[in-house]
Amino acid sequence: MKTAVYFCTCSGNVTEKIDPEHVRQRLGELHEGVSFFEAGLLCSEEGRESLASDIAKNRPDRVVIAACSPREHEAEFMRALAAGGMNPYLMHMVNIREQVAWVTEDPAEASAKAARLISAGVARAALHEPLEKRELDVCPDAVVLGAGPAGLKAALLLAGAGRKVTLVEKSPLIGGMPVRYEELFPALECGPCMIEPLLGDVLHGELATNIELLTLSELTEVLGFYGNFSVKIKKRPRYADTEKCIGCAECVEACPVSAGNQYNYGMDERKAVYFPFPGALPNVPVLDEALCLRFSGGDCRLCADACPVPGAIDLDDREEIVGRKAGAVIVATGSGVYDCRGLPNLGYGEIAGVYTAPEFERLLAANGPTGGEIVGRDGRAPGSVAIIHCVGSMDKGHADYCSGICCRYALKFNHMLEKKLPGAKVYHFFRELAVPGKEDFALLKHARENPEALFIRYSDIRDLEIRDGGSGPSIIHRPGSGKSETFAAGMVVLCPAVVPAAGAGALAAMLDAPLDGFGFFEELHGRLDSAKSKMNGVYLAGACQAPMDIREAMSRGAAAAGCALSELVPGRMLDVSPLHGVVDAEKCSGCRVCVAVCPYKAISFDPELGAAEINPVLCRGCGTCAAACPLEAIGANHFTTGEILAEMEGALNG
Amino acid sequence: MAEKPKLGMYWASSCGGCEISLVNLDEKILDIAANFDFVFCPCLLDTKKADIEAMPDGGLALTFFNGAIRTAENEEMARLLRAKSQTLAAFGACACEGSIPGLANLSGREDLFKAVYLDNPSTQNQMKTIPQAFTGVPEGGLRIPEFCERVKTLKDVVAVDYFLPGCPPEPSRVWSVVEAIISGKPLGPKGGVIGAGDCAVCDECPRTKKDKRLKRFFRTWEIVPDTESCLLEQGLVCMGIATRSGCGGLCPRVNMPCTGCYGPPAGVSDQGAKMVGALGSILDVEPLRGLSEEDLEREIEGRRAFLPDPAGTFYKYSLPGSILKGARK
Repeated sequence: MKTAVYFCTCSGNVTEKIDPEHVRQRLGELHEGVSFFEAGLLCSEEGRESLASDIAKNRPDRVVIAACSPREHEAEFMRALAAGGMNPYLMHMVNIREQVAWVTEDPAEASAKAARLISAGVARAALHEPLEKRELDVCPDAVVLGAGPAGLKAALLLAGAGRKVTLVEKSPLIGGMPVRYEELFPALECGPCMIEPLLGDVLHGELATNIELLTLSELTEVLGFYGNFSVKIKKRPRYADTEKCIGCAECVEACPVSAGNQYNYGMDERKAVYFPFPGALPNVPVLDEALCLRFSGGDCRLCADACPVPGAIDLDDREEIVGRKAGAVIVATGSGVYDCRGLPNLGYGEIAGVYTAPEFERLLAANGPTGGEIVGRDGRAPGSVAIIHCVGSMDKGHADYCSGICCRYALKFNHMLEKKLPGAKVYHFFRELAVPGKEDFALLKHARENPEALFIRYSDIRDLEIRDGGSGPSIIHRPGSGKSETFAAGMVVLCPAVVPAAGAGALAAMLDAPLDGFGFFEELHGRLDSAKSKMNGVYLAGACQAPMDIREAMSRGAAAAGCALSELVPGRMLDVSPLHGVVDAEKCSGCRVCVAVCPYKAISFDPELGAAEINPVLCRGCGTCAAACPLEAIGANHFTTGEILAEMEGALNG
Repeated sequence: MAEKPKLGMYWASSCGGCEISLVNLDEKILDIAANFDFVFCPCLLDTKKADIEAMPDGGLALTFFNGAIRTAENEEMARLLRAKSQTLAAFGACACEGSIPGLANLSGREDLFKAVYLDNPSTQNQMKTIPQAFTGVPEGGLRIPEFCERVKTLKDVVAVDYFLPGCPPEPSRVWSVVEAIISGKPLGPKGGVIGAGDCAVCDECPRTKKDKRLKRFFRTWEIVPDTESCLLEQGLVCMGIATRSGCGGLCPRVNMPCTGCYGPPAGVSDQGAKMVGALGSILDVEPLRGLSEEDLEREIEGRRAFLPDPAGTFYKYSLPGSILKGARK
């Protein structure tokens, strides 16, 4: 076997410590068929060209390049090999710069060490096999989970690029949280008005033909992998035909039963067939089976009879499982909010005058339970409002991080209270104030200038106690040191921490995309690659990955769409690296130790074959399965046991 | 009548189970007698070492050598039988990998003698006598075979033609080998394993296997495992995943975890290390995320407590033959 060893001096960087002559001699003693070439700067254009022409001329069987870290120029050297007509995987790089010349002080020791390492490389390279990249067809279409700001943005951008999008929304309406808010920080724009054009685009704009919207729907199964997912979606019955229904609400009028409206947090009632709130889109009612008389043994069909459009109310609607193909899945499922009952000192759920911020948003909203009037459960407008910031946030055992958005909406509340309840006192109880953003600081400035506003800092939320003071809640602040103070407030608004959505764990398991330590979807890299999950082909957008505001969620939706667009291009094949694990199916005993070990979910088990299988598209060649396999039935291309042992032996004998 | 080929079976440091396995061939033992001249087997026959010494080299067509190499006598007999046998097969886990006697390699000779002859609570040894290779007595000197510092496998001492693993090798597998020899079928390349499979016990185990994620281990007396699902998934340390097939999955079929007696599967050089690697991979470490150093240590210690004898569990049959070989001094 002819092995060509290229020794790069790195313009003296390497030769300052390592004597190439010593290496040449030692290799000659240890190996047969090794030819040794010294190069000045192999990574330069000239160097790479001469490498390629050298290889074309001398036709070595293997190439060992002793130079810098493979992270620097390995890819370029591999291309040079290919240009010289040689399979690039027949090359091995030995790092004699960072790992020898830069760290080993004594030149004699450095030369001996370099010779050992290069000798090990020669021994290893002898076992290298010519590996080939594979190419795979991809489906450029996407499934977007969640029709909030992030999901909508992603869906529209993908559709704009001509991709087919299946937009899956769990609730009966689209638009996420902002459509439930009257005004949005920082500029106090009307939420529904701002989002409505986007919703219109999704429902019936020019791009709508590329978007299939499935409301009341959830993902139930994900098969396949990056570029070739095959998903199943459970579509719950709406009992109203979104195509036929004209949204006249005759059915709602006719319905004889009602219960608390969950979209207004039970602050008013809705019928069994209902619109979540006026203006909710699509403008089609939904039927609540748990409340409807037909589903508790009755034969009521008043809604269907009242409907002026034949077939618009469909009482025979049934749950459906639909299957879709996609190359990418974008997770934009949003977040949840902290359950304020976890801090019983705040009296939520016990004291009538204590509200959460989402509830208060609905009180502010013109399409909310009070038509936008700030009145308590007793029907009276409060003379003062206490806003408690940081409920559950920055609190070990609850949510050990700053939720980032609460201060800004709390200051928005201040602004709106000033407008809607002139003269009302506004107390801000806060632990920390976080108001970042070029426009957002104006909110704090404005609130500070409100003569009726008072900012009180507490150090631990447990220093606050909210009691029912008879005419309204009273807030007792007992600082660790100093006098306790009592504040009377007609209404208390708690700003709960933003927490992972309830179903995040199950969805993560289905997608094999892990959650982080907080329970949000884990990003491939928090700074460099925050639009991607750890699972190839699964992208992240919005509050499913961290608490965030609408602006950021929209940007993240755009980022996820951008990644999917750039990675899955129609007509372009997917490059599959040959550096992946390989199962010897003959040898595999079917113990299934490896399957759960793979961090990229690349291993599946074929019951017919009785053996594990590695999907080369998902495998990233980490070797975890090869180490786990108790009978060496799994090998890793380019890192075979034989190659590793040869390298070790080479190092020990060098 | 032509002379039949001669068969020998010897026990070095062993328990006698391998001979029982041969006898468990039942009436097929008559086929052996019909085809071989069974000339040497200290457990069953009265021929002596001198009879073997008197034979020409290669006089034995086939010798099944069982037991580990513990004493100088074991070693001497191994050399003698190697010289006298055309084919020498390591028979059973002790000859192949060192097995139970080999666990003594976790201690040195001195510690062993101390434990057995001096510190053992049921031993009365006021004179503190321990075995000596040579003891002077008024009449002269007494010699007994020296007790070696380490237990070795047969192949550590002599060249071995074939390996028949198992503790003991299953009679059906022994018969398959004998039958092949009788009918002149090739046994495969020298130095190879015969009378066993190339896969792992899981391949022969009928239990349903799923993806594995273990919370903790159980010892066999702690739980009554269900009879359908994989024992390892139920928390029992079943060595089947890292043990050569060949037994037919006998133990898991009767609700007992495999203890690993058929040794490492083909291509595996260290059965215990492979088992540890596999278990380390499937232990559920999710609950350990984010723990402090101290909590982590406590958690790991707690889990380790479920495995009181790791060497005796993972290397029960293979310590001297493994890369580890024993405790390092």
